[in-house]
Amino acid sequence: MNQEKTPPSEAETEHFVSQAPFDLQSIEQLSEDQEKLYLASQWTLMWWKFKRHRLAVVSGLFLIALYLSVLISEFLAPYNLHSRHVDHIYAPPQAIHLFHDGSFVGPFVYATNFKLDMTNLSRVYTENRTKIYPIRFLCRGDDYKLWGQFESNLHLFCPAPNGTLFLLGTDRLGRDVLSRIIYGARISLTISLLGVTVTFLLGITFGGIAGYYGGVVDLIIQRIIEVIQSLPTIPLWLVLAAIMPVTWSPLLVYFGITIILGLLDWTGLARAVRSKLLSLREEDYVLAAQLMGATPRRIIGRHLIPGFMSHLIASATISIPTMILGETALSFLKLGLRPPITSWGVLLVEAQNINVVVLYPWLMLPVVPVIMVIIAFSFLGDGLRDAADPYK
Amino acid sequence: MLHYIFKRILIMIPTLLLISMLVFLLIELPPGDYLESYIAELQMQGETVDPQHIEFLRKEYGLDKPVLERYVLWIYGMTHGDFGYSFEYQMPVSRVVGDRMFLTTLLSVSTIIFTWLVAFPIGIYSATHQYSWGDYGLTFIGLIGLATPNFLLALVLLYLANIWFGTSIGGIMDPEFLNQPMSWAKLKSILSHLWIPVIVIGTSGTAGMIRRLRANLLDELQKQYVITARAKGLHPFRSLMKYPLRMSLNFFIADIGNIFPNIISGSVLVAIVLSLETTGPVLVAALQSQDMYLAGSFMMFLATLSVVGVLVSDIALAILDPRIRLQGGSTK
Amino acid sequence: MRTWLKIALCLFASLMFAHSGLASNFKETPEFAELVAAGKLPPVAERLPGEPRVLNLPELGLKPGRHGGAMRLLMGKQKDIRMMTVYGYGRLVGYDRNLNLVPDIVKSYDVEEGRIFTFHLRKGHKWSDGHPFTSADFEYYWKDVANNYELSRGGPPARMLVDGKPPVFEVIDETTVRYTWDKPNANFLFALSGGRPLYIYMPAHYLKQFHASYQDPEKLAEMVKAAAVRNWVSLHIRRGRQYRPENPALPTLQPWVNTTTPPSQQFIFRRNPYYHRVDEAGRQLPYIDEVVVGLGSSKMIPAKTGSGDADLQARYLRFDNYTFLKESEKRKGFNVRLWRIARGSQVALFPNLNAKDPVWRKLLQDVRFRRALSLAIDRHEINQVVYYGLIRESANTVLPDSPLFRPAYQNAWAKYDISKANKLLNDIGMTRRNADGIRLMSTGEPLEVVVDTAGESTEQTDVLELIQDSWAKIGVKLISRSSQRDIFRKRIFSGLTVMSVWTGLENAIPSPQMSPMELAPTSQQQLQWPMWGLYSDTNGRAGTPPSLEEALELQKLNTAWERSTNDKERTEIWHKMLSIYTDQVFSIGIVNGSLQPVVVSNTLNNVPEKGFYNWSPGAYFGMYMPDTFWFSKRAN
Repeated sequence: MNQEKTPPSEAETEHFVSQAPFDLQSIEQLSEDQEKLYLASQWTLMWWKFKRHRLAVVSGLFLIALYLSVLISEFLAPYNLHSRHVDHIYAPPQAIHLFHDGSFVGPFVYATNFKLDMTNLSRVYTENRTKIYPIRFLCRGDDYKLWGQFESNLHLFCPAPNGTLFLLGTDRLGRDVLSRIIYGARISLTISLLGVTVTFLLGITFGGIAGYYGGVVDLIIQRIIEVIQSLPTIPLWLVLAAIMPVTWSPLLVYFGITIILGLLDWTGLARAVRSKLLSLREEDYVLAAQLMGATPRRIIGRHLIPGFMSHLIASATISIPTMILGETALSFLKLGLRPPITSWGVLLVEAQNINVVVLYPWLMLPVVPVIMVIIAFSFLGDGLRDAADPYK
Repeated sequence: MLHYIFKRILIMIPTLLLISMLVFLLIELPPGDYLESYIAELQMQGETVDPQHIEFLRKEYGLDKPVLERYVLWIYGMTHGDFGYSFEYQMPVSRVVGDRMFLTTLLSVSTIIFTWLVAFPIGIYSATHQYSWGDYGLTFIGLIGLATPNFLLALVLLYLANIWFGTSIGGIMDPEFLNQPMSWAKLKSILSHLWIPVIVIGTSGTAGMIRRLRANLLDELQKQYVITARAKGLHPFRSLMKYPLRMSLNFFIADIGNIFPNIISGSVLVAIVLSLETTGPVLVAALQSQDMYLAGSFMMFLATLSVVGVLVSDIALAILDPRIRLQGGSTK
Repeated sequence: MRTWLKIALCLFASLMFAHSGLASNFKETPEFAELVAAGKLPPVAERLPGEPRVLNLPELGLKPGRHGGAMRLLMGKQKDIRMMTVYGYGRLVGYDRNLNLVPDIVKSYDVEEGRIFTFHLRKGHKWSDGHPFTSADFEYYWKDVANNYELSRGGPPARMLVDGKPPVFEVIDETTVRYTWDKPNANFLFALSGGRPLYIYMPAHYLKQFHASYQDPEKLAEMVKAAAVRNWVSLHIRRGRQYRPENPALPTLQPWVNTTTPPSQQFIFRRNPYYHRVDEAGRQLPYIDEVVVGLGSSKMIPAKTGSGDADLQARYLRFDNYTFLKESEKRKGFNVRLWRIARGSQVALFPNLNAKDPVWRKLLQDVRFRRALSLAIDRHEINQVVYYGLIRESANTVLPDSPLFRPAYQNAWAKYDISKANKLLNDIGMTRRNADGIRLMSTGEPLEVVVDTAGESTEQTDVLELIQDSWAKIGVKLISRSSQRDIFRKRIFSGLTVMSVWTGLENAIPSPQMSPMELAPTSQQQLQWPMWGLYSDTNGRAGTPPSLEEALELQKLNTAWERSTNDKERTEIWHKMLSIYTDQVFSIGIVNGSLQPVVVSNTLNNVPEKGFYNWSPGAYFGMYMPDTFWFSKRAN
């Protein structure tokens, strides 16, 4: 502004308005990506952060595939759950070969010769390299009922018509271990998921109440949590399982077990919810909601919880391994699922004796999917937790 | 400070009381009582059961009294050091215990130390080298330890130890030392057997601790003061050790409260498999035969151990971190 | 005339010579040599009874041995130390390895009319603490224990009652006692010889101090307080347990005495210096100095045995551990033998004839149904799959080793025949089937047989799985349900269980002198007719009388056996009972003669290569006399 002249009167001052079209980007040019970043919603941000954790992504895909497979277990398994082979008891795993006598034949296994060693009373299996059993794909094999309803006998892959395909060996009744693992996945994976749901509900309810109301309610609930956490879990299970009536059908037992498992871990979740609520409670939006007359339930459910839902999901994901291990531990104590229901826990317990460790180690193979699933869930949980707070 | 400790100890008492009620309730819940399983066992062996004798035993053991009365008697007895009578062993519970409490504590403490020793360096490494192959690799190994069911791992390690090192199978020491007083040889024998359960139980807790430590340390490392320190030229190592690590140490102490109960219950399962002379196997057997007082007293012992562990960690934490001490109640 | 006198004199002289020779030929046990020299222990000739039981080992096919060594056994819970009483097998009368009943602790016994039993003790026989063992110990038991209201509320034990009446007990002299009943007591001797024997004596000199009639009341009250028990009755019972030797101070007549006070993970049993048996060379038995019983988790025992931790082990080893043990044989210095288990059937199904549900009860009581189920079991397959084809396919009956065996019993309704089974079920009227091919009962429900198991044996569940498949072929669905011990039994008693699975006849190698009570409804413990058994057991006070003619017949025959006085009669009765029992398929047997692995250290001698591993009779190792086992040089 020119200091010599006095401001002119309004009539004389020009009101300068540039007529040139206004370009928003002329001040600061944002690149495409930056624009996306700033405009992105919370969920999109979380997804991007999650993708950075490559292992978590891989784990997630693996788990989704596994859970989907549960729907078609019967189709995927080469044998029916209960089919027995009297001549192939405790047969070791058969290796898949591609080349026979130097020429490519396609995937196949060799036949096995069986001899009973009467001095040691052991079954001796030797590969018979002259007989080939090619593996068939999308073929007709053992009968089964999909989910107990639809009859079929279509399998993804099956043995040759008079042959055997024991990729992971057989157990003491001659049942294919691989098929049993596939069927076992159905029970183990779903039971842990259901158990986690129970944990979830319990944890959110108790933690929410404790965190929101604070004071005496908080104190009481905290004490309850402490009491339950101090109780040694194994005896707790023993007692709870002893109460379960023997007359219950396997399905009811299954649900009873899920509830017992769910009772395991909810205290950790409750604590996390509580501490988060204690801090979030002071936020302004909560105050606003209260002033507007919202009930506590609505405030907790609609406003507070979604704020850290991601954390909860991450914690839940990390609880699932505990559920799976819990199920195996229950089976070990003879409290959980029992044959004829097949879960990984049941399979592992059958493998838990010295005979197996020394003579038939392939029966311990169900431990591999257990480990893989647990690791997958752990990485997934890690990734989710890292992604849960994208604004960090 | 003292006020805080006093408050915590005071709160511990109703907690323990509540636990005792729960424990007793849980033992009473399953249908039947000790005598019924005793009868069933006799019948299993084809031996005759004299109903008169059973009635006599019932009065003898006080099983005909109502639940409340038995509970009160038990609690009253416990405050006087009388933990009740074990039907299975036919002697007072305090005599059955013997070495077991000591060995259980020894096992739990060793496992915690093992967990610390392993989790500490791995956690730090993971935090400072986030998303690197080392991070993934170590976490992976830790997870395998977590993921393998304990009972299977214990059995396999047991067998391998026997084949490779000649360690005798089962038990926490060689049979010769069983009833002998403590000596160097006995200690050595215990240690040579102890590593299996410690590893089996410890690996489960290690993975969790590593990840929590990693998360905690990561949180700290992103704080402003670290960036300031680095910007001002502090050596990376010092900037790590001097402040964030100290904050994370608090976490370590606090985490005892988290993992202690897990270790205790995890040890029960492993003790069964490995046939260790700790409280676990006796407890499980007592629960299965409904040997009330033995089961109840052992459960109380384990629960008290847990509670005391948590208390110790809370107090330690309070000493280290003033914010905890001054934590208030709700404002609304 | 002179010749026979000369011969007689010679014989007499040689007998005297032999007897004195024998007496002076007793060899002192090395372990006690010092103590005897120091005067702390009487020499062997005085420790033994005047007429000890002489075991002529070469005659028995055994090798005479040497004193020394410690034998290690592995057991599960503390209660298992009772196995030492079982294995030790010191009994008033016992079974030898040929299943003959012979006097052991008693020198001899007489039985008149099957109801008057006179026992002659060995003069100079002493308890393990050196105090004399006389008729006073029998008197103490009878007067002050069995007939003492406080110690035995229900009076003397049931096995001493015939028709509810106790015997008349007489002390004839210091070494002779007599029991007289009104009617024959056929089970008395068998009860005395059992694995868990009927005790009719107790160490009076030791137990009197815990008895209200003999002890100063103040002192007694003190002892009660110190032991933390309710009253003197509990104290007396606690201190006087002979079967489970937890009290090291309790004198015993067994070959080894417990020296460890519980609780402990290890119990050490030491030689009894006053044991009444000697070998033909005058060495006092047992040969082995001490037996170390190690306790632990029973599941670990196969692994521990395979690792060489036991010198003699059979308990907690199962047939499927054989391969594993065989592989460890060479490395660890033991060998595995296979003994035979003398059970009527390794796994047997028991249809509950007292089922609560009337439709099921009617069906189960229909013999055609039971026969059909039995015919539809592929025993050959089960034998092949579970037992390597090594054992015998049979109904639930006696083994060929018993003199009472007949092939007809073994094959009764036991040959796999699906068409016959189908026909039987059609005859009953269950001809309709549902969409799954399962027959429908008269109520329209599918024929689903729920079999309860005690949940403790994978063997049983495996066999059930195999049966499930073959029963499906006749339209019967088998559902197996795992239970827990006490609930398992309770449900059977209350009729809620339709069928249960358990082991078959306990004694499958009976001789006519042994009781056939397992074949008749005599006890509530029998899983196929608990109510009928209870009726008989309580003399009609509880339970219900048998409603099936054949079961009633079996009961009558059993009573007739108890009354019978000669072997010919007994044999006839046995055969009648066996034929009814198997023909009526009151329990469905599958396989018998199964095998028990027995691990024996390579340095342990006199353990038979082949034998019977059986509770009753046999007392597991008892009848093979572990006191004659001995270690070659380089004992543990």
